[in-house]
Amino acid sequence: MSQLFDYEQEREAESAAKVRALEALLIEKGVIGSDSVDTVLGHFETVAGPFNGAKIVARAWVDAEYKTRLLADTPRAIAELDLAQGMDGAEGEHMMAVANSLEVHNLIICTLCSCYPWPILGLPPYWYKDPVFRARGVREPRAVLREFGVPVSDETEVAVWDSSAQIRWFVLPERPANSEHLSEEQLAELVTPESMMGVALVQLPGA
Amino acid sequence: MFTRFEDFAANSMLGHEDSPPRSQGRLHFSQDWQRSLFGLALAMSKAGHFEWEAFRQNLIGSIATWEQLSCGNQPPWDYYERFLEALIKVLQEHSLLDIEELQARLSVLKPDTADTELRNIA
Repeated sequence: MSQLFDYEQEREAESAAKVRALEALLIEKGVIGSDSVDTVLGHFETVAGPFNGAKIVARAWVDAEYKTRLLADTPRAIAELDLAQGMDGAEGEHMMAVANSLEVHNLIICTLCSCYPWPILGLPPYWYKDPVFRARGVREPRAVLREFGVPVSDETEVAVWDSSAQIRWFVLPERPANSEHLSEEQLAELVTPESMMGVALVQLPGA
Repeated sequence: MFTRFEDFAANSMLGHEDSPPRSQGRLHFSQDWQRSLFGLALAMSKAGHFEWEAFRQNLIGSIATWEQLSCGNQPPWDYYERFLEALIKVLQEHSLLDIEELQARLSVLKPDTADTELRNIA
């Protein structure tokens, strides 16, 4: 095993050296700038991603009036928040939020292709495009949710929302119980993309 | 429709053979060099040095080559090793990189092992 471990470390070191050499060469040649890599990745790391959705959800949890505005006019309510410029671009211009409650649990799918609110949920998971998930999400959403670890009681309605080129849906999950002591920022850290698709619940750490 | 190159590039890979590892809505890099590598490819294509599709086809080819290796010759799966191979190839195809330049640079970084490192690239 120790030999295998050395081999893995060696491969990592080799790849890292090649990438370092490549980047240095391309910068020297003027093919890219010294900050090009960070700039291009900044789009995924700070502009458009699930951190935006988490902020929106956390604000709706701590501010009931904001929640009302979010559900009534989602794009306008999102624009109220101080999110990065450009996050409301393509794939995010027609977003609609739907709220989970004791009465209804929402599930987001896209039966036609893989429309998804990228600016606030980030990159979709591999199974979002899977034809089986798409078909079963419509035909037997309760069974699909159970498989994701989200059992929905018979008293709770399940609503399935089909994203399209016209509307990208996302879920406002329920605030976890016993989270009154957490700040808005701490609440945002708990919110996952899967919870905003309806296939996970938001939970306190260790719950 | 994607109007931003970054979203277009990532979306073109999703659901295909070259789909990048991701976790909870984010690109997943287990090592810093993987992040630099992804950014390098993206930045160069965004600047117009090559079409993203040209890079993708090299990546799909590199993954297919790895899949066809016999078990004894097959290194453990590593998406970003295939990514690196594909990037070097597309840079060579577009006359943006001479493999000897890279070799020379590597020997400065790691003089003892440069020959072995490049055996697989050339």
